[in-house]
Amino acid sequence: MNKYKLYKLINQNADLKDKRHPMLDKNRFMKFLMIFMWLYYAAILLFLGVVMAMGMKHSYNGVAAFHVFDGGLLYVLMIDFWMRFGLQETPAQNVQPYSLLPIRRSFLMNVYLTRSGFAWGNLFWFFLLIPFGLITIAIPLGWGAFFGWLLGWWMLLVANGFAYLFCRALILKHLAWTLLPAAIHGALLAIMLVPDKNPLDMPCTILMYDFLRWKLLPFIYVGGLIAFLYWANYRLQIGMVYDEVGKKEEKEIKHATQFNFLNRYGKLGEYFKLEIKQRLRNKTVRMSFFVGLGFMILLSTISYFTPAYDGSFMRSFICLYNYIVLGMMTLVTIMCYEGNYIDGLMSRRESILQLLQAKYYFNVLLLIIPPIILLPLMIIGKISVWMNVGYFFFTAGVLYPLLFQMAVYNNNTLPMNQKITSKQGNTAQQIFSMVILFLPIGFEKAATALLGDPWGYVFLALLGIAGIATHQYWLRNVYKRFMTRRYKNMEGFRASRNS
Amino acid sequence: MEIIIKNLIKTFGEKVAVDIPELTIHSGELLGLVGNNGAGKSTLFRLILDLIKADTGTVRMFGTGIDINVAETEEWKDWTGAFVDESFLIDYLTPDEYFQFIARLTDTTDEQLQDFLAQYQHFMADELTGQKKLIRTLSAGNKQKVGIMAAMLLRPQVLILDEPFNFLDPSSQNAIKHLLKKYNEETGATILVSSHNLQHTVDISGRIVLLEHGKVIQDIDNKEKQAQTILENYFEIDD
Repeated sequence: MNKYKLYKLINQNADLKDKRHPMLDKNRFMKFLMIFMWLYYAAILLFLGVVMAMGMKHSYNGVAAFHVFDGGLLYVLMIDFWMRFGLQETPAQNVQPYSLLPIRRSFLMNVYLTRSGFAWGNLFWFFLLIPFGLITIAIPLGWGAFFGWLLGWWMLLVANGFAYLFCRALILKHLAWTLLPAAIHGALLAIMLVPDKNPLDMPCTILMYDFLRWKLLPFIYVGGLIAFLYWANYRLQIGMVYDEVGKKEEKEIKHATQFNFLNRYGKLGEYFKLEIKQRLRNKTVRMSFFVGLGFMILLSTISYFTPAYDGSFMRSFICLYNYIVLGMMTLVTIMCYEGNYIDGLMSRRESILQLLQAKYYFNVLLLIIPPIILLPLMIIGKISVWMNVGYFFFTAGVLYPLLFQMAVYNNNTLPMNQKITSKQGNTAQQIFSMVILFLPIGFEKAATALLGDPWGYVFLALLGIAGIATHQYWLRNVYKRFMTRRYKNMEGFRASRNS
Repeated sequence: MEIIIKNLIKTFGEKVAVDIPELTIHSGELLGLVGNNGAGKSTLFRLILDLIKADTGTVRMFGTGIDINVAETEEWKDWTGAFVDESFLIDYLTPDEYFQFIARLTDTTDEQLQDFLAQYQHFMADELTGQKKLIRTLSAGNKQKVGIMAAMLLRPQVLILDEPFNFLDPSSQNAIKHLLKKYNEETGATILVSSHNLQHTVDISGRIVLLEHGKVIQDIDNKEKQAQTILENYFEIDD
């Protein structure tokens, strides 16, 4: 078989892997939902593109609309970078199934790097760029300028994609590497936001203007950057394939802490220990906790030092985000890790009920962390103490009960300890995360608008306290509904295990 | 504990996985289940353990003052131990932690647990307890041992083991044979064991059910080990 045919075959297999994912294969609704979400986001971008273009059509303070837009280049690239975490796989894991076949590993790596780097996902921003560029560049300056500008954006997004793949691979080696992109982006944000005038605005504008005018140098520079990042990814990830194939977990764990103080709580204590050990001893679970914690600290730090998040909405968002994120990261996919040993759990009487109770208490305990992180913001008065009190109880008594409803419906097993993994959770779970992240803010705003501050927050707290007081009741309700759906769920857990 | 299966049918698409009009497993019986790949052995076990939904039919357990449909209550889980595959194991625990977890769930005291483990120390060959190894890092054979031990830990009246001889070295295979026979004699527990190893199945089972395409082909009394020839003929095993 020649290399082109082999390339086509591997590509075909990669497409089939996505198409035949167990969660999609057996669920028409999920397929529909995925397509719907893509169309939804595409429509939002289209809308934004048109609205921004119309709004800035002629000029803004004498500056052409596309110059203003291009000044925000780095913001777009940063958003694009972090969005990729939920959507884009690293090539190393995909290469592994071919490792025993007579195909050169370097060829496979090139296929997957090309596939990842030049993925269709890089064109997603075009839903925004095309309408914006058509109105603000193509009409006044002509098609040549439009295509040069568009090509420039595409090259930068491709470079960003390769930068993401590189960082992602490092992060999968060790979580501490998250600090690399966080520090670079943090520094860029500080440079852009702290001074009165953003000093990076002009270089970005010039770069994109040079693309627009088909000047050779930016194409050479960015093309060189892509080639360099491709090479860096190749070197890093080819090594990771060997790591993955020859992966052996340390035979002995260093600390086997027994948490004996929980023995006094009987069976519930045992499930609580299980919850702690699940987080401590499984890479994927542990990583999601630290990523959540990292974002809590990052957002709070930015808010503390810059006026970036001083708006009323963003203050509420930061407060809510801090309270909900750690719980949300595991509760949206509640039971999905347990899918790995669901048969064992289901062989014990009422084990799911006790597991749910332990999960609830554990997550309520996690709510000790947000007030500590938010304390500096409370001291400088950016976030009120009442808002904290409101969201503390509202999270424990209203948002957690909502998240626990997912225990009834989740039926996709998630790997707990994979070094290289990508998508955590399905589309429905991601949508639910978005709802949990934004809907409460509307509720809070309505409550404070109607009752005033602090009574709106007192109202939130009272609702939460009611939820906490009745937790035994609603947890049993979740358990009963889970048991009613148990066959369907267990079938799903089995089908998606090791997929 | 007696297990009565009636009109039990389970299909996956067009394929009939289990179709058993009636089968009674008597109290205290050690029943061996044999059949080729895809015969429906594991599916039958999962149906008995209420881990998959039957299209039709019931699995009931009968004992003194007990008559329950396993799909309608969880009561039977108190006296039933099972190990079908790795999805029964919590692999981020050490074997000691896992045994302790199961023990506490079944109200077994620490002393009882230690006695139990000491009793089967030979079977575990000093490789499982007292180690800081997580279950996921154990060999397939040792995982199998952890699963079997955990299933027996609560001294169940019904014990269900799917392919218990798989992955085990010859000494451990013999050990598990003796262990199951002894447990059956001492406790009078009802034991269901599936296996592709005809010799081991014949050695330990008082009765053997031959399953093919989900149907019971033969129900063989094996008290005098008479099933050996029948099974060898069926599976066309030459001397």
